[in-house]
Amino acid sequence: MTVLETKRGAGAERRHPRSPLRKKTKYRKADAASAWLLLAPALVLFIVFIIIPTIVSLGLSFYQWDFFDTPAFVGFANFAKLATDSAAWNSLGVTLLFVLLGVIPTIAIGFMLAVLINANMPGVGVLRVLYFVPVVLSVAVSAVLWAFIYDSRQGPIGALLRVFGLPPVDILNTDTLALPALVIMMIWLALPIVIILYLAGLQRVPEDIYAAAALDGAGPWRTLWSITWPNVASTTFVVAILQIVNYVASSLDVSLIMTNGGPLGATTALSLYAYRQAFSNQDVGYASVLSVVQMVIIVAIIGLGRLITRRFSR
Amino acid sequence: MRPARLRIGRYSTIILLGLIIAFPMLYLLSGSLMSFSDIAQYPPRLFPTTPIWENFAQAWSYLTPRTILNTFAFVGSVLLIQLAICLPAGFALSKIKFRGSKVVFGLFLVPVLLPTNLLLIPTFVVTLQLGLIGNFFGLVLPIAGQASVGVLLFRQFFSTLPDGLIDAARIDGANWFRTFYSIALPLARPIIAAYSVVTFLTAWNLYIWPLLAAPGEQTRVLTLALAPLATTQFSNISPSVGFAAAVIAMVPVLVVFVVFQKWFTRGIAGTGLE
Repeated sequence: MTVLETKRGAGAERRHPRSPLRKKTKYRKADAASAWLLLAPALVLFIVFIIIPTIVSLGLSFYQWDFFDTPAFVGFANFAKLATDSAAWNSLGVTLLFVLLGVIPTIAIGFMLAVLINANMPGVGVLRVLYFVPVVLSVAVSAVLWAFIYDSRQGPIGALLRVFGLPPVDILNTDTLALPALVIMMIWLALPIVIILYLAGLQRVPEDIYAAAALDGAGPWRTLWSITWPNVASTTFVVAILQIVNYVASSLDVSLIMTNGGPLGATTALSLYAYRQAFSNQDVGYASVLSVVQMVIIVAIIGLGRLITRRFSR
Repeated sequence: MRPARLRIGRYSTIILLGLIIAFPMLYLLSGSLMSFSDIAQYPPRLFPTTPIWENFAQAWSYLTPRTILNTFAFVGSVLLIQLAICLPAGFALSKIKFRGSKVVFGLFLVPVLLPTNLLLIPTFVVTLQLGLIGNFFGLVLPIAGQASVGVLLFRQFFSTLPDGLIDAARIDGANWFRTFYSIALPLARPIIAAYSVVTFLTAWNLYIWPLLAAPGEQTRVLTLALAPLATTQFSNISPSVGFAAAVIAMVPVLVVFVVFQKWFTRGIAGTGLE
């Protein structure tokens, strides 16, 4: 799927699977003991902090619990609560808005920019740094920066509005503007990684395809759309999954720091709503239900995407 | 003649769009040296009239050296633990044939679809039950335990080493630990570098887990100190000082990124599968 994976992975697969040599190998007890010893440290931490929480999350959704008292089994009551909780449905809408507004522009812009800087010209290697550099910013650092950019009194956008004699707009406190403003920052933050992944994907497109297309008289846009884009489909799939997860789950950091879910819940996505239910309302069971819902959404979107891409590639 | 003109057009597009993308960050650097009147000036200035280094002194005392040390300790511990657990595990899964290896491999695939923010609440529950909330172990261990990407990446790498190399060492009488340590590990340097850079960056920038697990003065990391500046910088301190604090928090990652850029892009491309 990626440079490392395919270059090395493909070779490795060819070398061993189901060769006669392998069938002859018997499991040796001494080997097994060594293997488990080498695995043990990773397994212990992984089971305690990933596998058990996953199971706990599913289990707790059937309990009423406040972190401290004994959990009380309530069956499907938490799920029933979800059905009538309009705030939860609003936050589900916010989550979907994050995904809808964020994912496609991130992919489209990232792809175009990667194609642009995938040029074999002297000096481009250095110029690429300009495109990669936002990757070093944490959400916290970029929040400090973008909160200033969006600030109505001191920020550049406010200044621009004043030039045209327009009234100041407090972007992050306007319910229709806050979410798009956060999404713009998230796109900016996500671009370096998307560009890097696409650059890796573009390296694997064989040069002679382009030569053939040029011979057939295809212009640059036609080449881009009919040759380059289909040839990086596997990268697009990976990028899409990463970005869906990014906008469903990582919007939590962004809205927690920049808008605290406001104004009027306009940026309270499911992730933040679940967070509040757990850590402000101490309703751990219900928060677990909301986490399960997010899990289902991610799996459903990815499954749907896979189904669509399969249909189109056949 | 035509290709030359096209080339110039492409160069200028690359430079122009690159500057647009990097602009907010360049402005952050420039703004961190502006005086209050510079940054509030209208129309906005691109460069400070005279650099005010005092901003950094103020930002430094706002952030406190303790917080900076905490961040290094947190990131360093996460990185060392991850390397110490993921490398041997990846080796065992790729080179040793034993019953159960497929099950273990499958187990490490589970979290590939589970973003860590979704496991936040149950991870907090488990860490709380272990009595680790509020201290350094609770901060580090759950993040270090996110080992699946590392294990899968190293497994992938070790499986590209020729079996003959491993067999030769085994026939010479080296046990698995020695084979791992003196044959496989030195060859893994490039992939270790790539994984380390990505892990360093990710851990340095974490916000929510440190907020939940260890928000106290003694254990607080840089992102926790910075976040309030995004909403209160305009009342408490000058935006320039906020910018300076952001720059201080950014410098270590920026250095790592610039020095190890090659490894970083390889690391992203390599872990991108997950």
